[in-house]
Amino acid sequence: MKNNDRKAYLFIAPFVIVFLVFNLYPIFLTFYYSLTNYSGMGGIDNADFIGIDNYVRLVTDRYFYQAFFNTIRIWGFNFLVQMFIALGLALLFSDIRLKLKGVSLFRALFYLPNIITIASVALLFSILLDWNHGGLNQMLLSLGVINQPINWLNDPLYAQGAVALIGAWMWFGNSFIVLMAGISGISRDYYEAALIDGANWFQSFKYITLPQLKPILLYVLITSIIGGLQLFDLPMLLTDGQGSPQGALNTMVLYLYNQAFRYNNFGYGATLAYGLFFITVIFSAVTFRTMYRKES
Amino acid sequence: MKKSLFLVMMVSLLGFLAACGDDEPDLVVTSFTDELQEPIEYFEELHDVNVDLQIIPTENYVNTLRPALESGSGAPDVFTGEIVYLKDWVNQDYWEDLSQDPYNVDEWSDDYMEYVWDLGRDEEGSMRALSWQTTPGGIYYRRSIAEEVLGTDDPDEIGEMFDTVEGLLEVGEMMKEHDYRLFPDEGSIAPYTNGANPQPWVNENDELIMTDERMTYFDYAKTLRDEQYTALAPAWSPAWFASFTGPISYNVGWDELDEDEEQTDETEVFAVSLPTWGLHSVLEVEAQETAGDWAVTNGPTPYFEGGTWIGMYKDSENHELAFEFIQMLVNDEEFLTEWVSETGDVLSYYPVMDEIGEDYSNDFLGGQNHYDFFMERAEEIDASHVTAYDQTIEELFGTQVGAYVEGDATQEEALAEFYSRVTNAYPDLVIPDELEEEVADELEEFEESGDLEEEPVE
Repeated sequence: MKNNDRKAYLFIAPFVIVFLVFNLYPIFLTFYYSLTNYSGMGGIDNADFIGIDNYVRLVTDRYFYQAFFNTIRIWGFNFLVQMFIALGLALLFSDIRLKLKGVSLFRALFYLPNIITIASVALLFSILLDWNHGGLNQMLLSLGVINQPINWLNDPLYAQGAVALIGAWMWFGNSFIVLMAGISGISRDYYEAALIDGANWFQSFKYITLPQLKPILLYVLITSIIGGLQLFDLPMLLTDGQGSPQGALNTMVLYLYNQAFRYNNFGYGATLAYGLFFITVIFSAVTFRTMYRKES
Repeated sequence: MKKSLFLVMMVSLLGFLAACGDDEPDLVVTSFTDELQEPIEYFEELHDVNVDLQIIPTENYVNTLRPALESGSGAPDVFTGEIVYLKDWVNQDYWEDLSQDPYNVDEWSDDYMEYVWDLGRDEEGSMRALSWQTTPGGIYYRRSIAEEVLGTDDPDEIGEMFDTVEGLLEVGEMMKEHDYRLFPDEGSIAPYTNGANPQPWVNENDELIMTDERMTYFDYAKTLRDEQYTALAPAWSPAWFASFTGPISYNVGWDELDEDEEQTDETEVFAVSLPTWGLHSVLEVEAQETAGDWAVTNGPTPYFEGGTWIGMYKDSENHELAFEFIQMLVNDEEFLTEWVSETGDVLSYYPVMDEIGEDYSNDFLGGQNHYDFFMERAEEIDASHVTAYDQTIEELFGTQVGAYVEGDATQEEALAEFYSRVTNAYPDLVIPDELEEEVADELEEFEESGDLEEEPVE
């Protein structure tokens, strides 16, 4: 018996070794960096140990707070729209009364935006949203919806909205698939019983689908938070990569990237990474607790 | 069965590894474009060697290559660097010192454009990287439009009109009257806003330098926008590229359009500021439809943009061959003559430029001898105020000027935000406001100490 136990260690060894070397070691090294003014050049020996100076700067850094609230705002709007579409479609396609056909075809279609490279998506939308030459303004102008072209990517609100909506468009297919899987996992007996008892559509949604779907919703929410807090590529590529317009697209990871790799403040970049880490942990913990509050 | 599968896999893996080891290159060159592909082929033939060119895209170049240079593992023998981070890298001990024996490149210095030569030196004055090219900028314009609006397409005459920013704006007005736009975007005027008072962005005391001349960028950019001298096509956007070949859509003033039926919702761009390489890597590629209709002339002040420097890694084991390659690229007359005739690049090496520049006409530029023009412009460049901060600070400044032009911020707000972002990016820099505060603090201290002295000592 004991012999078997030891063999098990051997089997998990590859993962553990890779994790220690490529995950855990960098995590600790990053923490050390965050206590220095390392510039990323000339080796860590050239850097001075400056204690918690970087963390003091972090809590007083208005660009960091700006980045935090931008990220939350963009993620929040994105999540609402994405869930509304994904949940709506999932309910539609799983409804036992409607019995819609072609689920697998639509599932593939909905998922399609997700497999386009984000760089292509950003380029596509920067052309569409161009103030003077873009398709969207041309269309709205010729339809008479607006009489002045709107500078979408130069307005903080529109720019954030655009990023959120593009994100929602890219990810609703993914959420749709997960929610569909969750709904198909709910026993049909419940619905049939409810149908016999005379429950209407909304009642069976509220009292059967939603409670049964809770673990899946939690999963979608947490992965979305973790992904959303790491929002980087679209804001990076859609405007100047430094948060234009007026800092509206300055997200936390973009700010981290710029500090570490554009301005060569590796030490402070590492501090930002830890700031981001703690925020992610707090958000996940809060979500987890609120979702499971009643059970415990 | 399983064992035989395992055997097959092992054999193929070994075969793969062996194949990798087989053509071990004699020299590894790393760069951010495929520009060196042809020189390398030429070099391989010349020396019967095998050179491996590794291309890392510009966006990732610094972050990918630097760890290799720091640690030494996976570092190439020869690598290039852009002007953007050149000042950083020459002082990092990445490139071998080429001033020392047996290279002694300083002996060649008389044959080279001075500013290009000097930029490759580290703080001690040792040569770390060389460049075969020189990259002064100019204003490229459309001959047919010049003829129609200005009555001439002669680069010298138009250069005289462009001699001051005011002159440039006057031409802008004339262009507008004929439904043309002077520039694609407001950024086109940025190179000329340093005026007659070029200063480094950061001086040796780590102080950010703001000059009245730099501040004029706000006003000039605003004028360009408000007077509708630009076509609202930001540099490197699809509309910007499209503006080189013909009319592009133009929507601003949509309200006026309805009233004035004769105006169209399209406009054509007259000119664009680009450096030497803009000709062969932008215009000749993107604007074949308008080939022959272009010419290049001077803007209000000389400037340069970009440029690639090359040097060899200090711990390379192939210094001899690496130096041969660099020597060919920057100092081999035969090779460089061929290079110029193929690419149209403007060289920093006089012997070849003098010979070619003597009797040359470029078809794309309607027969103009742009080598002559650019060599003359390059002579006027003073690169002593180039700092490692330039790229980032100019971007931050341009963003704030943009916010002012869009009407999102007043000039004071934009300037304050610029200072705030500069200190955010480079906490060690002292910004002008802080300078003033420091001066004020010192004055206060002085007065206080003066007061103390006046007080009777009890």
